Amino acid sequence: MTIHTKIDEKLNDKVLYQNLKGFATAYKASKENAYKGLDFEALRTKVHDLKDRDLNKVMQQFNQFKENVEKHGCKVFQAKTGDDACRYIADVMKSHGAKYMVKSKSMTSEEIQLNQYLEKEGLSPIETDLGEWILQIANEHPSHMVMPAIHKTRQQVAKIFSDYTGEKVDPDDIKAMVEIARRFLREYYFKAGVGMTGANVAVASTGTIGLVTNEGNARLSSTVPPVHIVLVGYEKLCDDFGQALDIVRVLPKSATGQIITSYTTWIKGRTPSHKNADGIKETHYVFLDNGRLAFLEHPKFKEALKCIRCGSCANICPAYEMVGGHVYGDRYIGSIGLILTALYQGDAAAKDILKMCIGCRACSFNCPSGIDLQTLISDLKLVVGKKYGINPVKKKVFKSVVAKPKRMKSLLSVGANFQFPLTTTNKLNQEKIIKTVPMLPKEMDFRKFPALASKTFSKRFFKDGYDQFSSQRKVFFYPGCAIEYFYPEMGLAMVKLLQKSGIQVDIPKVAACCGIPAIASGDPDNARTMIFNTLDKLNDAKDYEALLVLCPTCGGAIKHEFLDFTKADPDRYKKASQLGQMVTPVGQFLEDQGIQFKVIGNKTVTYHTPCHDSRSLSYSAEAFLSSVLGEQFIPLTDSNVCCGFGGTYSLDFSSISNGILNKKIENIEATKAEILVTDCPGCVMQINGGLMHQKKAVKVMHLTEFIENHLVVVE
Amino acid sequence: MKVMKLLEQFLEKSTLVGNENRLVTTVDFQNDFKREDYEYIHLPGLNIFLDKQAGEAGIRRALIEADYAIAETGSVVIDSCNENLRLASCLAEKLDVVFPLSKLVDNMHDVADFLEERTSESGGYVAFITGASRTADIERVLTVGVHGPKEMTVIILNDL
Ligand code: SF4
Ligand code: SF4
Repeated sequence: MTIHTKIDEKLNDKVLYQNLKGFATAYKASKENAYKGLDFEALRTKVHDLKDRDLNKVMQQFNQFKENVEKHGCKVFQAKTGDDACRYIADVMKSHGAKYMVKSKSMTSEEIQLNQYLEKEGLSPIETDLGEWILQIANEHPSHMVMPAIHKTRQQVAKIFSDYTGEKVDPDDIKAMVEIARRFLREYYFKAGVGMTGANVAVASTGTIGLVTNEGNARLSSTVPPVHIVLVGYEKLCDDFGQALDIVRVLPKSATGQIITSYTTWIKGRTPSHKNADGIKETHYVFLDNGRLAFLEHPKFKEALKCIRCGSCANICPAYEMVGGHVYGDRYIGSIGLILTALYQGDAAAKDILKMCIGCRACSFNCPSGIDLQTLISDLKLVVGKKYGINPVKKKVFKSVVAKPKRMKSLLSVGANFQFPLTTTNKLNQEKIIKTVPMLPKEMDFRKFPALASKTFSKRFFKDGYDQFSSQRKVFFYPGCAIEYFYPEMGLAMVKLLQKSGIQVDIPKVAACCGIPAIASGDPDNARTMIFNTLDKLNDAKDYEALLVLCPTCGGAIKHEFLDFTKADPDRYKKASQLGQMVTPVGQFLEDQGIQFKVIGNKTVTYHTPCHDSRSLSYSAEAFLSSVLGEQFIPLTDSNVCCGFGGTYSLDFSSISNGILNKKIENIEATKAEILVTDCPGCVMQINGGLMHQKKAVKVMHLTEFIENHLVVVE
Repeated sequence: MKVMKLLEQFLEKSTLVGNENRLVTTVDFQNDFKREDYEYIHLPGLNIFLDKQAGEAGIRRALIEADYAIAETGSVVIDSCNENLRLASCLAEKLDVVFPLSKLVDNMHDVADFLEERTSESGGYVAFITGASRTADIERVLTVGVHGPKEMTVIILNDL
């Protein structure tokens, strides 16, 4: 099945849609509650720092752990590969004549596909986590790290249970279903010769593992059978209980929005066990490498080994929310799943799924271990793009058009002149749009496209003499492609506003692309050309108060990606770094000037926070708008959740993009606001296009246009 | 008073997970608990014990003393290395936990040394318990008692 077939299958799954949507909303609220009164940034920095270590340090922790448990007669096995681990575990079971092994939830065992291995050997692993058990008897795989069966309804579970037990199961009675699980699994705990658990943390100072669960199944699995096997990745090691508790403090909050789970259990080695002849538990620790240790030495990918498996990066991912974990990830799920698939299973396994990331950066800002997941995904996209190639049409467009500013300009101006027969005026808002795009596949037809501007921003800027205004106070403005070719008015509105305040605005002589489209598509070579083009055309930082952007994605690129791509070129790197520090979203600049505005008219307004405003430039205009507008401002639910644009993503994965957009539109409609303000031309294109397609009358405006038309400066 | 603040915080968090919470004097507690039909009792502080090894059928009710309680999370901390204690706390339908108010600490890190001490020898098993055994694995509907206790009561001895 191709990735697109898989995606479509999931998008048509109404149960999945409802469950994930419901969960995403509930999760955000409970997580916020769980962290109330705590400094999330400080907590996650702590976890990030304690997990920041090299191979040497991890091996020290391992040796200490090993010594602490071996001296009491526990066994420690170092598994190089998944198969090594499986074989060892099978051997332990066989040596005890154990047919059954009760397991508590372990992502690591999913990683090495332990169940399949044991079953082939004629052994019976029994999943005891309710969600995992449901999937085991249904012969399926988890679709979420913390809520494995989130894609199932109660009716589906009832059917699975009645097929399995032969009993009648009321399809609406969840409590009764839980009772069935309790009854069946209880029997297995006592039948099993071996119990297996994972470990959320492994404390080196004593050789203790920590397990975080709600059901209590890990307690039973580690208590009732005479043998306990712990399967754990090296990255779970930490120095002492201080560190372990720092992790336990954030894990449940980020996982399910609970302050703490029902059980946090600390287990060390050889506890009393009456089922053994000597009355003491036999304990085995299987430490899994499977590629981890190599990446501890990698300058970037070592970050992925800081993961504490909370699942938060799936919970907040708009693309995951559309397709679920059977598509978004492989054995590991969500944003970290895309990365670990590449690291553990190899880039061939990851090359398609990596593309599903829209780049909204929500994961990077939510990870309780402080992993910058989106950047890792972006790096991996470049790696697989180079190795396996990208869409050839895209590559050609990047190489021969976008990376050549002059050619792009002339081609698009030809386009602007000849699009006339294709354009029309949208009746609801009088905007110029493309009537119908010829040969556009049906799934891409979910929004209207804006027409190309008849004159580019730069052309109007120079022609209308905006370059003649001079002042001591100067800012440099980088328009980016969207303002240049589609939305010159947004740029001009800003220029007029600033010049009225006595500020001179300079722009590049030739417009060039910031490179993000190529980066997001995994095309590093063309991205580099675009970045060099842009950088060379930006004036030096020293003459200006700020480098202003109206597109936060371009701004984020100058601030972050430009540095990455100029590392081997000291002059350009220096320039990128100096300019990067000056990048300022226009709203921020206006607020900093302390200009006082007041509203004219009584239109109600809501605001969508662009991903890259809040997450690349640390800015949101929400506070500004709400203070100027007072009661006329209506906050938007999930304002900072992605609108689904992502540049060419909205064409490559149009069905996901459309799904994300629909949720945004639902939220916008719920505000009943007449105007939606945002401050990214990409978001305007997406949201306005969707609203027009659905014939909704909400007016979409860039912040600069909104200020020009609806606010006045208070003298 | 600091302890009252901690108590308030503990009660809030413990209530949040569905526990019943009781504040009693030791004398009242000693009179009351006899009226209940516990099958397993482990109260070393008061020197009261009733031993039983819980099996597959489970047990109805267990009464156990906690070593600490944590205000930050509303958890009780129980050293359950003793196998019968562990089985009882895992398999009782209803779990009652007692602790003296003086054992209430502010946050999880306050029991780090205790964890270190109780798990440095050959075997150790310490649990933070915060409410009944629960699951939300079917349609995210919170359901208690999936493997272990279906109800939990916390009894705080306010004079100890
Ligand atoms: S990467 Fe971060 S957010 Fe994702 S599961 Fe790991 S710790 Fe949680
Ligand atoms: S950047 Fe956004 S779309 Fe990509 S993995 Fe992270 S949350 Fe998902």
